[in-house]
Amino acid sequence: MKKMTLHLRIWRQKDANSPGKLVSYTLNDVTPEMSFLEMLDVLNEHLIAKGEEPVEFDNDCREGICGMCSLVINGIPHGPEHATATCQLHMRHFKDGDTITIEPFRAKPFPVVKDLVVDRSAFDRILAAGGYISVNAGSAPDANTIPIPKEIADEAMDAAACIGCGACVAACPNASASLFVSAKISQLALLPQGQPERKRRALRMIEQMDKEGFGDCSNHAECEAVCPKEISIVHIARMRREYMRAMFC
Amino acid sequence: MPSFMSTVRSSVGKKFLMAITGLAMIVFLIEHLTGNFLLLQPNPEPYNKYAHFLLSFGWLLIVAELILVAFLVIHMISGISVFLKKRQARPVGYHVTGSAGKPSKKSFASTTMIYTGIVIFIFLAIHLKTFKYGPYYETTVDGVVMRDLYRLVNEVFSDPLYVGGYVVAMILLGFHLRHGFWSAFQSLGLNHPRYMPIIYGLGVLIAIVLAVGFLGIPVWIYLREVVL
Amino acid sequence: MKLDSKLPSGPLHEKWDRHKADLKLVNPANKRKHTIIVVGTGLAGASAGATLAELGYNVKSFCIQDSPRRAHSIAAQGGINAAKNYQNDGDSVWRLFYDTIKGGDYRSREANVYRLAQLSVNIIDQAVAQGVPFAREYGGLLANRSFGGAQVSRTFYARGQTGQQLLLGAYSSLLRQVDLGRVTLFPRREMLDLVVINGKARGIIVRNLVTGEIERHVADAVVLATGGYGNVYFLSTNAKNSNATAAWRCYKRGAAFANPCFTQIHPTCIPRAGHYQSKLTLMSESLRNDGRVWVPKKKGDKRHPNEIPEEERDYYLERRYPAFGNLVPRDVASRAAKAVCDEGRGVGEFGQAVYLDFADAIKRLGVDVIRDRYGNLFDMYERITGENPYEVPMRIYPAVHYTMGGLWVDYNLMSTIPGLFVLGEANFSDHGANRLGASALMQGLADGYFIIPYTIGDYIAGTELEAVSTDADAFKEAEDNVRKHIDKLLSIKGKKSVLEFHRQLGEIMWDYVGMSRNAEGLKHAIEEIRKLREEFWQNVYIPGDSRHLNKDLEFAGRVADFLELGELMAIDALHRNESCGGHFREEFQTPDGEALRDDKNFAYVAAWEYKGDGKEPELHKEPLEFEYVKPTTRSYK
Repeated sequence: MKKMTLHLRIWRQKDANSPGKLVSYTLNDVTPEMSFLEMLDVLNEHLIAKGEEPVEFDNDCREGICGMCSLVINGIPHGPEHATATCQLHMRHFKDGDTITIEPFRAKPFPVVKDLVVDRSAFDRILAAGGYISVNAGSAPDANTIPIPKEIADEAMDAAACIGCGACVAACPNASASLFVSAKISQLALLPQGQPERKRRALRMIEQMDKEGFGDCSNHAECEAVCPKEISIVHIARMRREYMRAMFC
Repeated sequence: MPSFMSTVRSSVGKKFLMAITGLAMIVFLIEHLTGNFLLLQPNPEPYNKYAHFLLSFGWLLIVAELILVAFLVIHMISGISVFLKKRQARPVGYHVTGSAGKPSKKSFASTTMIYTGIVIFIFLAIHLKTFKYGPYYETTVDGVVMRDLYRLVNEVFSDPLYVGGYVVAMILLGFHLRHGFWSAFQSLGLNHPRYMPIIYGLGVLIAIVLAVGFLGIPVWIYLREVVL
Repeated sequence: MKLDSKLPSGPLHEKWDRHKADLKLVNPANKRKHTIIVVGTGLAGASAGATLAELGYNVKSFCIQDSPRRAHSIAAQGGINAAKNYQNDGDSVWRLFYDTIKGGDYRSREANVYRLAQLSVNIIDQAVAQGVPFAREYGGLLANRSFGGAQVSRTFYARGQTGQQLLLGAYSSLLRQVDLGRVTLFPRREMLDLVVINGKARGIIVRNLVTGEIERHVADAVVLATGGYGNVYFLSTNAKNSNATAAWRCYKRGAAFANPCFTQIHPTCIPRAGHYQSKLTLMSESLRNDGRVWVPKKKGDKRHPNEIPEEERDYYLERRYPAFGNLVPRDVASRAAKAVCDEGRGVGEFGQAVYLDFADAIKRLGVDVIRDRYGNLFDMYERITGENPYEVPMRIYPAVHYTMGGLWVDYNLMSTIPGLFVLGEANFSDHGANRLGASALMQGLADGYFIIPYTIGDYIAGTELEAVSTDADAFKEAEDNVRKHIDKLLSIKGKKSVLEFHRQLGEIMWDYVGMSRNAEGLKHAIEEIRKLREEFWQNVYIPGDSRHLNKDLEFAGRVADFLELGELMAIDALHRNESCGGHFREEFQTPDGEALRDDKNFAYVAAWEYKGDGKEPELHKEPLEFEYVKPTTRSYK
């Protein structure tokens, strides 16, 4: 099988309080069918064999749905392939001899935990501020009581597909979380079930988003381009309408 | 329920204000450019009459000017606030940056709004000092004594340095508008997959028309007065 | 140890209602005085945490990932079954019950499965109310599709992301309770021991995975919803962090482990591509609705699939099982794939794959319909393999996907340790020897939303719970235990990485305790696992220390447990001298290669009790009685 040599520059940082730096490594046994994370696994096996500490990076399902993997690869969150999370990026998209710079997601609300691992609990706190429909188990009416047009359900699903990875924040020149927050606000604003809490939800979630210290959205739309689920900034527009509606209507 | 002020200061409210004021100023620019086309005529009278007509609105004009100033201030405050917040939100930057390409709209224009904005502001200050508060020449048209702005404009635009600076500023204005126009619609929540491509294209058109229009006038006058 | 399943009396369809009527209740004002620990935030854990908090209990919710939303339930693609009969195609609670019991090859409890079928309808209602965007028809009503092992369309779905949407629904309910102050989240915490005081589960010991701190948490009951143990095979469709450690440490504290050998091999996964492969990716079983499975008739036919003419293809599922065709249950489909590959008719680089072909469906329905139905799955396939499935048949191969076995629980979902409840894949309860597609989501949510809220109240109301603090001796003992274990792992400083051990264990498990098993192989596996375990404790190398984030240390603890659990799986598989569901013993098959069950001798749940390190576990049997369905030979022909 064809082997590739890659030059890696990887951000190494011992813990949240230590300074970090880019460290260079060269890997000689990369094959094109490996996934990006498998390539890092191989690097780590080499490091361990040499008695060095392996590179820590978050990952879990490795099939692009849990949102745990991150990494900024050559300046682009989740790397060069569209609609692809890092875990589903394969080495066939790189060339023999390439230099690849790997950095953690950068934003003040995403502090580095170690190496390439960051803390994204700010997202949980934003969703806890209203990213839900208040319904206790047992009190729901029959599922077919309220018909929802297919187009609306599909659009809600487009927004709901968000995996909460945070690439939108990492890619945004302003480190804004608008795409993430808008995906949830939009999903629930579209559905009839979400109507009763519509205003309160928009106001509280946006307030929490601002409180976490994310930047403002200046409509670069870079978030949409890196989103593994291709969530559109149309949802950001809807979020803004929802906010204004909540405020003035 | 948050207060009105906190809404205005929120990330969404801030952009909303920026969009409203930005679009309003674009409307003003279109009006301004349309009037200024009178400068292209070799005859000074129509332009001076137009300027005089505007001045004849008296206190109404002052109100309009104050509104424009207020819009400008709001626009600038929100712009600076976005810039400062962005720096706070990412204290440690990337060693390598890139763009994932389409559908990203990240561009030279979109990432330099604060800088093009600052240049435009400086331009604006000089512009007002040169013309509005510049030397006062008089002329008489149809028996009415009025300010001879046409003469002042011709004088100023005979200076190649001034014209050069003007051209650069207008090109930067073009970039500012190229991102600013469609972005304002997005900030107002007006994005629909069907209409957005039109708005985006319209933004490019407006940016080109305004930039070329505004920079064309001094260039034209310079050519007319100095070169020919 | 005595296994009391606490099955209620009365007719099948009244059991759960009667039981609910008999359960003791906790006064609303008293609920807030009780704290419940929920470990795991998948469908079962998140729904349980949310629902218990809604009732008024204080809930402490733990997960190993950085957010509760990452739990592996999120990766379930195809759908969730519910006996709504919206399609008017003859579905009913009875039929869902019957399909599940039959699909499980008559190795599950009738009462549990019937309850599951009853509750299935409530789950859909609950999810829709939460804003889960299920697929809909143009008229606005919910859409359904069919799934393996059933002849009705009862599967609800949200594109190929049903698990994600249901989990996000449960997670949003959980976060709502966080907002209301009823739930406290503890992310990046790994449960490493159970604290048992006076015979009751009263707390847990966890490690903070970021700081390495060992924490003690006390509660009135512990709910374990930590998923399955498929990662014992190293390569599986499970997430990398999925593990059996919490469940295994409970086993070592006295919780019986039931039917560990029942693992499900899913037939439609993307085949292995190389040695460095870290996991396998599932393609939803729903693909079999329109895809046709085939291999070349000739052995070693290396031609491009599109060049193999129709008459030289063997659509072996349609040939062998004309009634169900490509929609036979998972175990049957997986074994059939293995059989053709063993004959040398497998395709792909390693000959370990079969084709799943959409050419006919595209011809019949058009490429747009196929794209609408499976677009995201096709895209995923192309991302991983670099091949376009609209033009070239997919290559698929079975992979470990789900474990039906788990901690033994009674009808109340309580383990053999009072106060320790086990939900979802972590328990053994509802799927018998084989789980039907789209049933895992159903079970996780039924357990969390609709069963545990009732049964845990009964336990709390009916049990004397003495005041306990984290200073109790049992907490100290458990914490010391955990610390010693970690220190021991770090002190070995051997030569071989954790990953290498895990990979080796996986190979043993796949070869001998995989899709088909025999006595000789299982004995060999037990020996090999013991040897590997011994080597592990002498030669494993773990870099770093325990005071920082250290994934290798985390994995070392999990692999150490897998090295014990793997042996128990082999022991269980060896003792079960029959073939049923996912457990296929080569010695027990019909002349045409179908599984041969032995109801006379093995119609029981095998619950294993831990007897100490290095000692044989003790087998306890819970007989299974079938009053309403008569076990027959499962036939999909």
